Amino acid sequence: MLLLPNLALLTTFVYRPLIDNIRLSFTDWNISSPTANVIGTANYVEWFGREDTRQILTNTLVFTFVTVMVSMAIGLGLALLLDQKLRGRNMVRSLVFAPFVVSGAAIGVAFQFVFDPSFGLIRDVMARFGAQSPDFYQQPGWALFMVTVTYIWKNLGYTFVIYLAALQGRRIDLDEAAEIDGATPWTHFRKVLLPQLRPTTFFLSITVLLNSVQVFDIIYAMTRGGPLGTGTTTLVFQVYQETFINYRAGYGATVATIMFLILLTITFIQVRVMDKGTKT
Amino acid sequence: MDKLTRRGFLGLAGAAGVATGLAACAGTGSTATGTASGAAAGGGSSKVIWWSNHPGNSKEAEQKIIAAFQLANPGITVDLQDGGKNYEELAQKFNGALAGNAAQLPDVIVASDVTWFNFALNKQLAAVDDLMAAAGLKTDDYVDALYSDYLFNGKHYALPFARSTPLFYYNAEMWKNAGLEDRGPKTWQEFKEWAPKLQATIGSDKIPIILADGTNYLDWYFQNMAWNFGGAFSKEWTPTASDPKTIEAGKFLQELVAMKVVKFSKTPEADFQAGIAACMLQSTGALGGTTKNSKFAFKTAFLPGDGNCPTGGAGVAIPAGISEDRKKSAIKFVEFLTNTANTVLFTQATGYMPVRKSALDDAGEKAFLDKNPNSKVAVEQLAKTRSQDNARVLVQGGGARIGKSLDQVAAGQDVASVFAALDKETQGVIDAQIKPKL
Repeated sequence: MLLLPNLALLTTFVYRPLIDNIRLSFTDWNISSPTANVIGTANYVEWFGREDTRQILTNTLVFTFVTVMVSMAIGLGLALLLDQKLRGRNMVRSLVFAPFVVSGAAIGVAFQFVFDPSFGLIRDVMARFGAQSPDFYQQPGWALFMVTVTYIWKNLGYTFVIYLAALQGRRIDLDEAAEIDGATPWTHFRKVLLPQLRPTTFFLSITVLLNSVQVFDIIYAMTRGGPLGTGTTTLVFQVYQETFINYRAGYGATVATIMFLILLTITFIQVRVMDKGTKT
Repeated sequence: MDKLTRRGFLGLAGAAGVATGLAACAGTGSTATGTASGAAAGGGSSKVIWWSNHPGNSKEAEQKIIAAFQLANPGITVDLQDGGKNYEELAQKFNGALAGNAAQLPDVIVASDVTWFNFALNKQLAAVDDLMAAAGLKTDDYVDALYSDYLFNGKHYALPFARSTPLFYYNAEMWKNAGLEDRGPKTWQEFKEWAPKLQATIGSDKIPIILADGTNYLDWYFQNMAWNFGGAFSKEWTPTASDPKTIEAGKFLQELVAMKVVKFSKTPEADFQAGIAACMLQSTGALGGTTKNSKFAFKTAFLPGDGNCPTGGAGVAIPAGISEDRKKSAIKFVEFLTNTANTVLFTQATGYMPVRKSALDDAGEKAFLDKNPNSKVAVEQLAKTRSQDNARVLVQGGGARIGKSLDQVAAGQDVASVFAALDKETQGVIDAQIKPKL
């Protein structure tokens, strides 16, 4: 009985839209039209056969993988550093966390002043060394690099804070024991700290992955999925593009459903791997 | 096992949550008629909700027109609401409203050259001919080329409002230093001859011409180049990007790239204003901003070619799903918004084109154009405009699709293959989304 209110909310706001989305994925719904025709699996057949599917999947995987790995690694590094008793650490902690609460669209716009090949910060710095800035907006590889770096910068505050909280809740007696046993800093990190951070790492790997796959605002503000049409288009951006630019809401729902299934599979594997690790 | 179940549940719920956000757009709407909010004297609702993206930073001008309308029509108030920062966002918001019920619909929307048709095709816009006739208002004073852009199956689905055309902007000092005549190039070939002279005098850190990239309306500007070479994106509902003449235009663009005299940017207007480029193609709607922000003298000219200038910009439309009372007040407002006095006011505030023939005879407009020769060029070019190719403005996603192809061409890919693929995609959309509804 106590679960009922939450279940009702979940059903109304999570599962019902999810089922509706799956239903729409089998239609040819034009988002401006009051009607939709059922077309079976045609949208799915199209998605698997389209030339841009591989590029969009690759963009999504590269963006997500790099974002998860780098933001967790740097977040952990910063947490280790700012866990020390350093002067001004509280201010630095606030500064590191601040970008996480700023809107992605605002960050996307602000970072144009960093990456713009005509008057950006990078151009200026490189010009001082006689080098030419890459055109981050016109070259697909550099464009993907640009949005990835921007998102990592925004997301660092999140991984940092979670790791810092985990570090501050660790067992100090284990640190003392390692010190008495003469463990080197690396051994201490690998054998004492990392095992204690395992649940946190697992939690972050899932939440950062889910957040990264859903990134839309930064891509919209910086590249609108381009250059060359799909240079920085990820699955979630394709959902937007198909639904609101091409008006093919049925096809957009198909991409959303495929994305859901991919995430469900990855999350399931993560849970199994973590569970195996806990048991051994 | 307990642990796995809990984690599994959380994991699955989290992943499902992702899809929830995506599915938020789901749900085909109903087409119930709207409710009128009060009644105005002489019929019609007492409130008009207008969704605008304030094209050309026109919010202040819009508010002035609204104040004048309310003064002239004491029973009706107009609620100006932000519809997004550009035409696409406004269309998205309107699509969201269409998925709900009629009470959520606005009375008037700004609909751009690339967004109105899909709404009309799906019967979501009211035909303005009938509403104007019922209100005893006439449409014959609208500039024919601009009004006919909204013609579909014998009816018009919007009235021209913030209408623009591309315009050739050039930095007068750079032009002079290069020893060029004080005018725009008559043809693209002529520009190709001028470009090295410009490059030689402006230095390697600047560029002879800057154009918007494929995600920022290059497809609109390139139409002029394609037409100059005798090509087009389409003829009626037949894609023609793979026509040899259109391919020739694509190859010409590649030649400019190979000469390193053109740069593509997401912010060509800002780059030009910063003095980075000697010239640019940009909307007439950018005239006000460029005049305000440029720290150098610039001039405007017709696009290369004679009569090869595409129309563009936006009109104002009325949703089909609102009540007849609401439509009565809405048509009254949009007619007022686009009448002679207000098109003059709006034109002068933004740089958009006058949408009424009578505006050109207006004494105030004449005086303004005499004082502002750059605006005068833009207005004079109006007589040289043509409606755009269906493949760009009427085929769903046309602008983005063509923009992507032009990005590929600019990146050096084989023009014939790129344009053949473009035609195939365009034809697919026409067959699936348009022909069944024509």
